[in-house]
Amino acid sequence: MQALADGILTGAVVALGAIGVTFTLGIMRFANFAHSELLTWGAYFALVVVAFAGPGAPTGPLSFGWQLVAAALVAAVLTGLAAWAVDALVFRRLRRRGAHPLTMVFAAFGAALVMRHLVVLVWGHESRYYTRELQMATEVLPGVRVLPDQIFIVGLALAAMIGLHVFLTRSRTGMAMRAMAESPALAQVCGIEVEGVVRLTWIISGALAAFAGVFIGLTPQIHPEIGFNVLLSLFAAAILGGTGSLPGAVVGGFLVGLAENLSLLVISPGYKGAMPFLLLLLILIVRPQGIFGERS
Amino acid sequence: MERRRRNTVVLALALMGGVLSAGTAAAQSCPVKIGGVLPLTGSMAPITKKIAQSAELAIEHVNQGGGIKGCPVQFILRDDQGQPTVGVDAAKYLVEVERVPAFTGTISSGVTGPIISSVTAPSKVVQITCCSTASPFTLDGRSGGYFFRTIPTSKTQAFATASETARRGMKKTVVIYINTDFGTDMLRFYKAAVAKLGGEVIAEVPYNDNQPSYRAEVTKALAAKPESLLLIGFPKDGVTIVREWLSLGGTKTIALNNSMRTMDFVNGVGAKFIEDVFGMDNAQVAGPHVDAFNTAFEEKFKTDTKGPGVHTQYDALMVMALAMNIAKDLTGPSIKDSVRRVHVSNGTPVGTGPAEYKKALELIKAGKPIKYFGATGPIEFDANGDVTGPALVWKVKDGQIVTDRIITIEEMQALFKRVEN
Amino acid sequence: MLAYLVFFACIVLILGVLTLALNLQWGFTGLFNAGVVGFYAIGAYTHAIVTAAPQPQYVGNLGLPWPVGVLAAMAATALAGWLIGLVTIRLRGDYLAIATFGVAVSIQLVALNWEPLTGGPQGLTRISRPLAQLFETPFGFNLWFLGLMIAIMATIYWALDRVLMSPWGRVLKAIREDETAAVALGKSARRFRLEAFVLGSTLMGLAGALYVSFIGFVSPYDFLPIVTFQIWAMLIVGGSGNNRGALLGALVVWAIWAGSGVLVTKLVPPSHAAQGAAIQVILIGLLLMLVLLFRPRGLIGEAAVVSRHVND
Repeated sequence: MQALADGILTGAVVALGAIGVTFTLGIMRFANFAHSELLTWGAYFALVVVAFAGPGAPTGPLSFGWQLVAAALVAAVLTGLAAWAVDALVFRRLRRRGAHPLTMVFAAFGAALVMRHLVVLVWGHESRYYTRELQMATEVLPGVRVLPDQIFIVGLALAAMIGLHVFLTRSRTGMAMRAMAESPALAQVCGIEVEGVVRLTWIISGALAAFAGVFIGLTPQIHPEIGFNVLLSLFAAAILGGTGSLPGAVVGGFLVGLAENLSLLVISPGYKGAMPFLLLLLILIVRPQGIFGERS
Repeated sequence: MERRRRNTVVLALALMGGVLSAGTAAAQSCPVKIGGVLPLTGSMAPITKKIAQSAELAIEHVNQGGGIKGCPVQFILRDDQGQPTVGVDAAKYLVEVERVPAFTGTISSGVTGPIISSVTAPSKVVQITCCSTASPFTLDGRSGGYFFRTIPTSKTQAFATASETARRGMKKTVVIYINTDFGTDMLRFYKAAVAKLGGEVIAEVPYNDNQPSYRAEVTKALAAKPESLLLIGFPKDGVTIVREWLSLGGTKTIALNNSMRTMDFVNGVGAKFIEDVFGMDNAQVAGPHVDAFNTAFEEKFKTDTKGPGVHTQYDALMVMALAMNIAKDLTGPSIKDSVRRVHVSNGTPVGTGPAEYKKALELIKAGKPIKYFGATGPIEFDANGDVTGPALVWKVKDGQIVTDRIITIEEMQALFKRVEN
Repeated sequence: MLAYLVFFACIVLILGVLTLALNLQWGFTGLFNAGVVGFYAIGAYTHAIVTAAPQPQYVGNLGLPWPVGVLAAMAATALAGWLIGLVTIRLRGDYLAIATFGVAVSIQLVALNWEPLTGGPQGLTRISRPLAQLFETPFGFNLWFLGLMIAIMATIYWALDRVLMSPWGRVLKAIREDETAAVALGKSARRFRLEAFVLGSTLMGLAGALYVSFIGFVSPYDFLPIVTFQIWAMLIVGGSGNNRGALLGALVVWAIWAGSGVLVTKLVPPSHAAQGAAIQVILIGLLLMLVLLFRPRGLIGEAAVVSRHVND
């Protein structure tokens, strides 16, 4: 049971990150290995804000105050812009030249190296923290303990996902994004401004990544590798859910989180890292396009 | 100038160059280079920073104290990025291109191993590591005697840990350990010692590092209903694990290994939450030589000397420099044979710092034996290239890391006898 | 210096075998194998287990001679390639990538955890090196090994060339260019892809055996995902679909990796070694991106796929 709760918590964070991955995979059709670095940058941007404003005194059962939430929002904006900047500097140029998707993947790999080590250069490798408070988990159900912080995180993550879903299904820009995910050529024919959609995609991906980064940073530390460490879970989740699909990324994220935690009930933790992939392999054998994916 | 004259001049210059270089062939070519391979980036990087600083301090003291064979020392430090092929390439470069007579490195045994087998042993170059504790490297003779370490192997630490947990009556212990050679080595020796000394290990939970959360592993450990925890790992993940352990209701009876003995760990978890916790470390035999090092380090880098590898790295380089002065020339075999002469039983004691180093050089020049007492204590290598040392028990008090008690060398030796018979 | 260059060349050639193998799978067959390091590991460990000197705590360590180890490595990887290929080849492009990636991660974890066979985190040592006992100095051995590598590389290169020109190779190209047409002509695309995958995997296993023969030690830390990324970078930077490009890429990318380290030690004093190391990685990333920005198709780009008979 505890494992179930843990799985949901891990899953929420993975889901947030996976959304950005699935969008770039779906709309821009390339595997952006630098995406995980956006999580790291988001966490560090928030750290900078917190360094000035402080994390806020523990509010209620949470270990931090509204200042951290504000910091997360600021970080989301900054990271969204950063994501767009990286695209403008590197990926867009390659796209304009009709570069093969694989070239983009390796350019992303190079970009990830640079982004991660810029963080190292500025902040070093040591771990940092938003707050020094240590929370005690409360027993919400018999045998299941969770931290109030974590419930807050899951709540916020779900709110973000629902908000995004509403945006995608109700607003014109949202629908334009989904159209592009289905077929960029057709979308253009319909008069959708491709560059605008692309820009928005990066900003949203970056913002969500920032939230994911802050959440990882809360539980419980920030260091330059936090994004890189979840990179593969993010991709597993996005693909397993079906690329380009928001519900897919969310479901995929939770499944990956659950798989990682539940599997430990039967196998040695030494093999934990393989779990997202075994799960992915299983799902792909049964349904090669992913859970919500479209058969191409 | 016209061609014939130019050719003559060139020929003359060449001849002169040849004569001059022949004349200086016998003299030592300065500077003397010492190599280093450390994981400056990668997952070990958080602990490497201080180790690299310690190395820098050692080289500075060596140069202030007179260098090696009258030459200043140039330290060339390469990053192995935690990747074996990169580390091996760096070591090979240092040995073949920079022609270092000796080098120090590295930390992860996945990188130290291939370096020993493809560079150190075949090229017969002395390698002294501050931090690689995998026991097979010295025990199975693969290095041909060229590999030394200034840190005791995990066996020492594991046995000492077992003696302490037994002494405190820790029962129903679950061990959460990092799934590397270091962790598995420690676990194996710990269990062997526990079998003889008392205590019981009721569950063993390995973890792979670099994960955002260890709730799953902690949950699995807690499922065994333990009364105590032994955590073997490194500070970065150690912090996450201890925090999750405590917040999920785990007991505060926790034992830690040496790497956690850093303020990074203490502050990361929060000092007030770990007041009852204790840890083990290799001790430095107390004395002016240790204090001199601590003072010099703190003065130069404005930070404390607590952390894995800080003292042992200094000693690794000091021993190297002293051995290179004692050696009749700077070839591998000569240096190898001189390493143990850095600490001779009837030698004059020399300690840490530039003044002591200078004293040592004078003694060496006069052909007198020396006995080096380093930042970790007396450095005496056994037949395999290992050192033993005392151990200490540390704990957190008022937000500081303090030493609780020391297990002396004699007690350690008695301990070894008890466990291994 | 020469000794280092010989060593460097040996490593480049071993990585080159991996890159050529990947080129066969990707460049010529269109299979996105993101688990290169997994096959490398299987080859390496098989060779180690078969040839390492016997030790009581290990199930393997059979102490057999070098050629046996190499052949065993190739056989084991061929089998693994066949099994993994059966399952994953019918997956679409990037899905194949993630699946193969996961397989490689699992293989590394098995190596890490299955101690009685693989030595666990400690790895295995005393692996047989070809004719090592004949050579007094490491330079001598490395030079001989370099010669051996050049011979092996030449054989592989020539063999791949022949294979790709053969009827089998032409069908492969046809399938890559226009699968529908090829299938309409009665060729089983899946069978050909599987065969190409297995052949590529076998070569990767060979590279693994060569690597451990050269270094003399193997541990799970040799097979982390970064290696797969490096090999892919080599292929993309050099120019995929093109065997010369693959080799050039191996040389250039490895030179960037090693060279950036040297450069940093020359420019940054040891007191700032930690920042210097971060700069080294930034340099590597920048160089990769720059090469790709200026030559998106790789340094030597894709060779023309039009048949040379087109003007007949």
